[in-house]
Amino acid sequence: MLWQFTSAVGLVPRYLIPPPTEIVKELFNPSVDWPKQILATTATIILGFAFGTLGGVALAFLVTLSRLLRKILLPYLVGIEALPKIAIAPVLYILLGFSDLARIVLVVLLTFFPVVIATSTGLVDVDQNLLYLLRSLGASETKIFYKIRLPNSLPHMFDGLRLAVISAVAGAVIAEFISSSAGLGYLIINAQNFFDTSLAFAAFTVLSILSLALYGSVELAAYIIMPWFRKK
Amino acid sequence: MASVELLRLSNVSKTYEPVTGENVEAIRGISLSLADGEVLALLGPSGCGKSTLLRLIAGVEIPTSGNIERASGAGNKQFVVGYVFQDSSLMRWRTVRDNIRIPLEILGKNDDKRVTEMIRLVGLTGFERAYPIELSGGMQRRVAVARALIHEPSVLLMDEPFTGVDEMTKETLQGELNHLIRRLHVTGALVTHDIEEAVYIASRVLVMSSRPGTIIEEVRVPLPDERQPIMRIEEPFISCCRVIREKLNLLQAVK
Repeated sequence: MLWQFTSAVGLVPRYLIPPPTEIVKELFNPSVDWPKQILATTATIILGFAFGTLGGVALAFLVTLSRLLRKILLPYLVGIEALPKIAIAPVLYILLGFSDLARIVLVVLLTFFPVVIATSTGLVDVDQNLLYLLRSLGASETKIFYKIRLPNSLPHMFDGLRLAVISAVAGAVIAEFISSSAGLGYLIINAQNFFDTSLAFAAFTVLSILSLALYGSVELAAYIIMPWFRKK
Repeated sequence: MASVELLRLSNVSKTYEPVTGENVEAIRGISLSLADGEVLALLGPSGCGKSTLLRLIAGVEIPTSGNIERASGAGNKQFVVGYVFQDSSLMRWRTVRDNIRIPLEILGKNDDKRVTEMIRLVGLTGFERAYPIELSGGMQRRVAVARALIHEPSVLLMDEPFTGVDEMTKETLQGELNHLIRRLHVTGALVTHDIEEAVYIASRVLVMSSRPGTIIEEVRVPLPDERQPIMRIEEPFISCCRVIREKLNLLQAVK
């Protein structure tokens, strides 16, 4: 209400912060192909997130099962996680061309590390007594993995997925800022070039809804997969 | 008829070699035996190697020197232990029923009737589908005891099973455990630093020195196998506790 009022009476210039009614109007502007833009960004997010998280989970399994791999890879993984990976985006475009692939790879880079580190922590950081219990019964390491390590890792894994999905949205938009011909990031950067703040705010609104929906999907998956955790 | 010996430790020592720092000698030259149906308590100060001894008996750690002989006991094809830990150590992702069933799963057995019976024995009927987070501390301990007994182990290993439980619940749980042990004819080894717990549950108490742990005294508990709460205030119980306390005090004084 306050936002609408201050914009309507001209306390804040409309070209800087448009009133909500104008933003809503922009969402129904037939000259903007919203489904196409949403689909482009969503595809980049989903593909990058899927490859990044699947790769992250797979590598976490490997470093848990192999002590040698863990010794070799884990210090590098933690080191790379600390790097500002967004900064590598321009280099990715040089290496892979101004393509969908470059955008997806950037999202993969942003989602992979939180998942691999969180999941491997959950796989390794298990109650020592449970290991004693199963080993005293003669359980193989494979059985221990499925009966203890994997379920124990789920809350950690979902922590990684929550971080990853937020990073995936940010990564896709930044990749579209740098170079793209469609997507919500493309719309925002174009709107900036033409001082079309209504369009920029409308794209931001859609992006926020998309981000919340994806985050909500991860939360829903955690709720379904870990009934024992939600009872906390 | 002489009772069957299920376990014999001969001159067992364990030294840990940490990645950094000096070697830690946890226990030195421990010799003991455990007969079928007997419950042994290992009593000693914190860090004297009691839990190490249980892990060696369980076979999850290997002694640095000495020998451990294990016999399976009546009804068992192989020597197998049941384990109760200090903090229950339940699988938080499994329900009460599934937690209790885990040893059967690992051993490739499936006996739903026995799981139901065990749940009834530990007084958790109605809580089969509850997760550990939904249970009180005392109920979690009952699940841990049921899990340790479900597969009819040759020896039940109890590592300070009631630490952290309030006094009233602890006494109730000790009574229930004693009742279960006698009813199911369980052979057990109890690690504790609680003198009254050792005397109430065990038939024999071994007093251990501080690290490196050695057995300095053996005390036979002069009570019938089936213990009653009233016994806690009777002379044999009190005097047995006093004897053990004096041994421990002497140990402290020597130290």
